[in-house]
Amino acid sequence: MRIEFIGYAVSNIIHRKTRSFLTVLSILIGIMSIFALISFGIGIQRYVDEVAKEAGADKLFVQAKGTGSVDDTFAISKQDLNVVKKVKGVEQAVGMYMKVASLEFKGQRKYHYVMGMDPKDNDFVQESFGVDVVKGRSLKQGELGKITVGYNYQFEDKIFSRALKLGDKLMINEIPFEIVGFLTEVGNPEDDANIYMTDQAFESLFPEMKDRFTVVIAKAESTQNPEDLAEKVSEKLRKFNGQEKGKENFEVQTFADAVKTFTTVIGVINGVLILIALISVIVASVNIMNTMYTAVLERTKEIGIMKAIGARNSEIRDIFLLESGILGLSGGIIGVLFGYLVASTGGSIAKAAGFSSLQPVFPLSLILGCLAFSLFVGAISGYLPAVQASRQRPVDALRYE
Amino acid sequence: MKPIIRLVDVWKTYEMGDIEVHALQGLNLEVKEGEFLAIQGPSGSGKSTAMNLIGCLDIPSKGHVYLDNHDIAKLSESDLAQIRGRKIGFIFQQFNLINTLTAMENVMLPMMFQGIDERERFLRAKKLLELVDLGERMDHKPKELSGGQQQRVAIARSLSVDPDVILGDEPTGNLDSKTGLSVMDFLKKLQKEGKTIVLVTHDDNVARQAQRVVYIRDGKQVEKVK
Repeated sequence: MRIEFIGYAVSNIIHRKTRSFLTVLSILIGIMSIFALISFGIGIQRYVDEVAKEAGADKLFVQAKGTGSVDDTFAISKQDLNVVKKVKGVEQAVGMYMKVASLEFKGQRKYHYVMGMDPKDNDFVQESFGVDVVKGRSLKQGELGKITVGYNYQFEDKIFSRALKLGDKLMINEIPFEIVGFLTEVGNPEDDANIYMTDQAFESLFPEMKDRFTVVIAKAESTQNPEDLAEKVSEKLRKFNGQEKGKENFEVQTFADAVKTFTTVIGVINGVLILIALISVIVASVNIMNTMYTAVLERTKEIGIMKAIGARNSEIRDIFLLESGILGLSGGIIGVLFGYLVASTGGSIAKAAGFSSLQPVFPLSLILGCLAFSLFVGAISGYLPAVQASRQRPVDALRYE
Repeated sequence: MKPIIRLVDVWKTYEMGDIEVHALQGLNLEVKEGEFLAIQGPSGSGKSTAMNLIGCLDIPSKGHVYLDNHDIAKLSESDLAQIRGRKIGFIFQQFNLINTLTAMENVMLPMMFQGIDERERFLRAKKLLELVDLGERMDHKPKELSGGQQQRVAIARSLSVDPDVILGDEPTGNLDSKTGLSVMDFLKKLQKEGKTIVLVTHDDNVARQAQRVVYIRDGKQVEKVK
């Protein structure tokens, strides 16, 4: 193929502006969607990996089976916790209380999770959740009437219409608590609205939940494989509660297990959306093919002339292939640009809604991949029309009016 | 003078549905190097088919076409394209310029298929357009030129690869007589410079200006019946 053909192909594309524009538009939409969706998919994957690295893949979670989240009907007792603590390979284990409570501030009422735990485990829990104190201080052992609160409470209109400050009093189930600290951002609105108090404070607020932990977080010793340890913990707890394997009412998850559900769901949703976007690319490809068949028909005489003045079949084919490839690539370039805008806007909207963890990522490989894909789709779609063009007999093509 | 193109007992048969049409029926014809030959015949005589074969646009159903002693019936399509691109310059009745390209680009196009580099293409095309008196109109598209001007662009294009043979299919057919005459004069000048000129025409006035005229009727060469 000669490089000069590019100029010729481009001039032909420009010559039929409207048709080229519509064709480019059709592929642009598909590439834009694919680019934006994948950028979010990668962003979420990166976030999960990051959390796993920070919080540590060495954590195990023991909680009620089934719902996967917080369930009032099942709790882990202090005895259970002691069993977990005694399992060989468990470095540390803490029980955490969690319950939805009514929060009231200056006449405004909201419902969010209240977590209770022994402040001596603060560092460990904060490490597990990937949070730290951003303002104020942590809770002290035995402290009643004091709370630390999630990141979002510091801002207006995030949880309450007013921003909360250190020293503000928040009514939890009609009992006043003073805010002594704010935590760093987790990146989703639910976790950033959590309230933390000491175990004693929690037990006096919810006496019925005393010694009934919602979740136990355990840390594996560095030499331990968390998967194996989860199996061991599970076995010990089963024996302790006299339950059969497969019929236990608790679940021991490693960190990887815990995020796997999340990433699988996100992955499936993302995959389905990408599939839909792919269908639109297929439609675009049919469109390109149609455009190119029309172009071949329109330019039959031109093909004849070019053959008469020495164009080989392969050269005619290359000219038409180039045209469809350039159409595809143009759609790809604009699609990537638009996809970038759409994904960035989407990211900002997600951030404004509290999902700062839901951010698109634009690696170079994604950009190049989308461009290569669009070029490929263009070339593939143009292949049959191009071959048809190249096979015209010069005598017949010249006679065509 | 040695022959540059030889048609030996050439048959060309087209199938139109169930009917076989013999456009050429054993045509024998020689084009000598450097001559100005006119092929004359009424419409339907097979002269256009003969031109297609002389121009390597088509291959015979039967018989042999020799260009420089190579039988073109044995060549692949690619080789055929390459040969006609290098050896033969076409001038058509309909001019057959590419409408989306400028005069300059049209003249440069055949050289592109011969792999001549861009600068060389430009210089040669410029020289040729000046030669046909279109130095001022190089950037015009065919639609912006008169018929005579378009045919001059076509002549410039046919000369761009410096072919041995210029093949004209009724080159003056769409021109007024004055413009037609100047095109003929130009072709004669080219012959004097060593080119072989072959014209296909039904027009006596055109044929008369050639050195030699060959008459075709019913797909065969005939004596002139006049």
